[in-house]
Amino acid sequence: MNSIIGDSVTFALPLFIIAIGGIYCEGSGIVNLASEGFLGMGAFFGGFAFALFAQFLGMSSVANAYLSLLFALCGGAIFSMIYALLSIKFKANQVVSGVVVNMLSTALSAFLASQLNLSIFGQASNKFLLAVFPRFTVKWLVNIPILGAFFDDTYVFVYIILFVAIIMTYVLYKTPFGMNLRACGDNPQAVATTGRDVNSIRFKAIVINGALAGFGGMCFAYSISTNFSSSIYAGYGYLAIAAYIFGNWRIKQTLYACLIFGFSRSIGYVLIQHLGLPSTYSDLVLTLPYIMTLVLLLFFSKSNISPKALGEPYEKSKR
Amino acid sequence: MIKEKNILKRIFISFCGPGKARMLRTSIFCILLSMLFGSLILLLLSKNPLVAYQSLLQGAGVLPKLNYPGKKSQLTGFLNLVDYTTPMIFAALSITIAFKCGLINISVAGTMIFSGILATVLVGYTDLNPVVARSLVVIIGLVSGGLLGGLIGWLKYKFNMNEIVVSIMINYIISYIVSFVINTKFADPISRQSVEIGQNARLNLMNVEMFGLKMNIPLLFPIAIFVVFLIDFLMKKTRFGFELKTVGSNRKASKYAGMNVGKTMIVTMMISGALAGLAGVSYYLGCYGSIQPRVQPSIGFDCIAVSLLGFITPIGCLFASFLVMIFQCGTSYLSSRLGVLREIPSLMTSILLLFSACAFYFQEKADACKIKLLKSRRPKNE
Amino acid sequence: MEETFVEFKNITKTFPGIIANDNISLKIKKGEIFALLGENGAGKSTLMSILFGLYEPDEGEIYINGKEVSITSPLKANKLNIGMVHQHFKLISNQTVAENIILGQEPIKMKWGFLPQVDIEKANKEVEELSKRYNLEVNPTAIIKDLTVSVRQRVEILKMLYRNAELLIFDEPTSILAPQEITSLLEIIKGLRAKGKTIILISHKLDEIKKVADRCAILTKGKLIGEVLDVKTTSIKEMAGLMVGGEVSFVNKKEVIKQGKVVLEVDNLTVENKNHLKVVNNVSFKLHEGEILSIAGVAGNGQTEVADAILNLIPITMGIIKFKGEDISKLSIRERIEKGISYIPEDRQNVGLLMDFPLSDNLVLKNYYKEPYCNKKGILNYSEFKKNGEKLIKNYDIRTSRGNDTIVRSMSGGNQQKAIVAREISMEADLVIFVQPTRGLDIGAEKSIHDRIFDLRKKGKAILLISLELDEVMELADTILVLYNGKIQQNKSADQFTKNEVGEYMMGVHNND
Repeated sequence: MNSIIGDSVTFALPLFIIAIGGIYCEGSGIVNLASEGFLGMGAFFGGFAFALFAQFLGMSSVANAYLSLLFALCGGAIFSMIYALLSIKFKANQVVSGVVVNMLSTALSAFLASQLNLSIFGQASNKFLLAVFPRFTVKWLVNIPILGAFFDDTYVFVYIILFVAIIMTYVLYKTPFGMNLRACGDNPQAVATTGRDVNSIRFKAIVINGALAGFGGMCFAYSISTNFSSSIYAGYGYLAIAAYIFGNWRIKQTLYACLIFGFSRSIGYVLIQHLGLPSTYSDLVLTLPYIMTLVLLLFFSKSNISPKALGEPYEKSKR
Repeated sequence: MIKEKNILKRIFISFCGPGKARMLRTSIFCILLSMLFGSLILLLLSKNPLVAYQSLLQGAGVLPKLNYPGKKSQLTGFLNLVDYTTPMIFAALSITIAFKCGLINISVAGTMIFSGILATVLVGYTDLNPVVARSLVVIIGLVSGGLLGGLIGWLKYKFNMNEIVVSIMINYIISYIVSFVINTKFADPISRQSVEIGQNARLNLMNVEMFGLKMNIPLLFPIAIFVVFLIDFLMKKTRFGFELKTVGSNRKASKYAGMNVGKTMIVTMMISGALAGLAGVSYYLGCYGSIQPRVQPSIGFDCIAVSLLGFITPIGCLFASFLVMIFQCGTSYLSSRLGVLREIPSLMTSILLLFSACAFYFQEKADACKIKLLKSRRPKNE
Repeated sequence: MEETFVEFKNITKTFPGIIANDNISLKIKKGEIFALLGENGAGKSTLMSILFGLYEPDEGEIYINGKEVSITSPLKANKLNIGMVHQHFKLISNQTVAENIILGQEPIKMKWGFLPQVDIEKANKEVEELSKRYNLEVNPTAIIKDLTVSVRQRVEILKMLYRNAELLIFDEPTSILAPQEITSLLEIIKGLRAKGKTIILISHKLDEIKKVADRCAILTKGKLIGEVLDVKTTSIKEMAGLMVGGEVSFVNKKEVIKQGKVVLEVDNLTVENKNHLKVVNNVSFKLHEGEILSIAGVAGNGQTEVADAILNLIPITMGIIKFKGEDISKLSIRERIEKGISYIPEDRQNVGLLMDFPLSDNLVLKNYYKEPYCNKKGILNYSEFKKNGEKLIKNYDIRTSRGNDTIVRSMSGGNQQKAIVAREISMEADLVIFVQPTRGLDIGAEKSIHDRIFDLRKKGKAILLISLELDEVMELADTILVLYNGKIQQNKSADQFTKNEVGEYMMGVHNND
């Protein structure tokens, strides 16, 4: 039972931080399909940084683990600038741009992983191995029934994510920057009239999206396979998108959606173990989050209210 | 210095500026630009780009190699190219027709796997007469793909479900379920893929000996060509094509004109799905004889690039498919000859895609450049 | 002597294909209400957009209080105390009144000393004070999407006053208001002048300008016509004449036509919106051959919904619609079109036309699927498209750059409307519905559409006219039906109404709820 909570949270929270990035991006009026690509590139940068610094700091260095997270964040942010260029400056169709960026990310990270492994580390591999991420137990909270499981042997990045999530929520709803960002997603002409630069705000929103998605991607790399490889592209970016569509582009509701995804996944695995089914059945379990998404979208798509100006490129001369 | 800048601008305008065959010129520009990029990457890796592109074309059978093993020849290589291009043509057509109706069909990969497994299980493992078997395979491809496409269209219309997220979810669900089915029932223990289908059902004639040479003949290729022109005719000359384009351009006006928007969208997605189904059977029961579990075929996503590159028209898809497949088919030869990583061609395809997505921006920029150039040429009077 | 506040000197601005402002020089005095008149596309909005920093002029200078300035952005304009109330409001629909007003200049407080936060309480208070001072009643915490148009306009005005605007530009502010709301807006504008503000009023409504403006200038096709006029000493007829370049007769002598059978009968029509609010509430009326029935009302009181319901563009909750004696309530849009109903929509670009398609395709939009345009097998005959296109272009004087092949997006608004009218009238339907047919058109184009409407009336067709322009309604209608909150307030023959009476019904003055 405890492991269900632990596993669910470990899956749900990186998904959540990626979703928050998406809320920022779409809240400013830019369609976001590129979360998948951003999380992958972030994980690539983080994985590469880890492998690189492991040469000097050793594989089990705790500092290296945190450093890799930082690099993942930066890597995702930098890569997202390509998407910003396409959707803001070039005013390309945002859906197509998002898909393009995802494809580029898959190809680029695969190529660079192989090439860098060859050139720098002299290995014929397309993966970067990571160490297990540090975990933390809050001893005096562990004994609380049910909720206590959350505090037992949790990855430290879970706490980091919660902290970052609180900050991002505050920024979006309470600060002038957040207010202007949400205004851009509703009526960018209105924001332009007040003298603010709509494109600059949207650019920042995209970069925030890239950073958060990269961070989340790295957390996935640590928690799911302890390496970076092309299997990082498992559609979690799209799950995050489904999560915030279900959450009506509000952060709190999105958290619930992510938790539901996490739980459905963990419960599936436990069911397999309980019923003693062979491991091939794990494939079926892995479909659960995706099926859940479809079901949720089925019931909730009619009533969702997306940001009004979503997907319309901002044109200065439009009146 | 100014003259140099002007020349660059003029070249740019001649490719992307207004005039005849604009989309064709812009597409060629995107191709040349990505080849330039690719050359830069190759140079960085200290490889000769010209040799690289030559090997690519040789590997694809467009240019002759220096020597050929056994009974193979350039014709073998070329037919190989044609073989792999066939599913790509269908996939690109699938995307194109959906695009024209304002829909983005990302479920091509999942549909391919779906029709692939159905055809494999229902016909591929049977002993039916080759003509019957192959016809059934094609029919299964059309019907299964069409039903899946229609379902997605219906979900979008009835429940306002974002068709992109739905498509991607369906891709993963199908991928995992089919993987489960293969691993539990139809797995080949050596290849880790599904058991290879019988020759009778295969849409390729394998190892045919003609003129003393060995080759594989793709049976569906002529059908692909036919379908290209069929879709072109459908879009340009029929009432349905007119309604499809209208709905894609402006749903409100279509409704006002009395058209049945929902039906048009759903039928379009059915056709799109059927085409994806054809891509699936020609891929999994043609180029290959088995399905690899848990892998979504990259054709399912590369076809978006191909459609863009072919300026979202059926004939354009035909040529763009060949172009992109030349890249992919020439890979192994390129890798072995130059010692370059196998990931490069897919990188180049992504870069090509990137530039294709910017095509409209290039055209806008060219328009603006042209106006500026004309202005600066105009003698300053008044 | 009043000093010059703003001076435009030789302002020229071009866009691809049009000269929007052609060498315009103007002086605006401090504390006056200055009107800028002109037809659609004359260049008034462009000139004011330049003043407000949305565009930069290609040539010419602007002087504020004698000093040359370069207004590169709305922010710069705000700093120069210039504010603009736009025709299309620039409001954030999911934020509150106060949030909209402070956007761009948010008061900030530091939570716990170091976290920056929008001080929303301060904002609410400031907005309330401001609204009291200028008599513009608003609720600071109301959300924009729940507010009516005239309240939203007040928010737009408050936005400018919050930024200490001394010069306020109003861009066609009354185009969406009912007569009583217009009167109160004009009072507000006069009140602002009394408080020392300078006002520039962009309009094409001559009677309003006569009521409030001190001086006015007339723009035509980007050029300034003649001298700046003193409004008190110039008659409306003179101003109109200058605008159109000739004498315009105002009164269209309407023939007396004998009305025939009932063509359209609407019984107990009720339409509910998404929130189950009755936007059309139990509306019944009859329309005869040769009759022009106009449904009047302030925008959003259900008139457009009645027209949409008749065509089945929106579903109805209750009621029966009978066309030529037959109940059509369950028929599809296409079936109703085939029975003989034509519809000229309000939104010509998003509903009436396919902007990126050629003109010939647009002209067969309603009957492309029938012979001779399409054969039984579903194959289209493009030469028939072309024939039809050429015929309509000639008969309806549609100006294009490339005839049949012109892409509609490149056509002017007036010609786009001509195309729609051509298509709909050429279908020879027995019922023709016009929704806001002359919105945004100049006087010449307006007259030609009015002539066509009279023509249809003479031929014995039934016409349903939805219009927000009261003058148009008074001029054209045989019968006027006024809707307020979806309910019929009055329905009688036009000659039994005065214009003011119609306005009163539109505002619900005689509402019996």
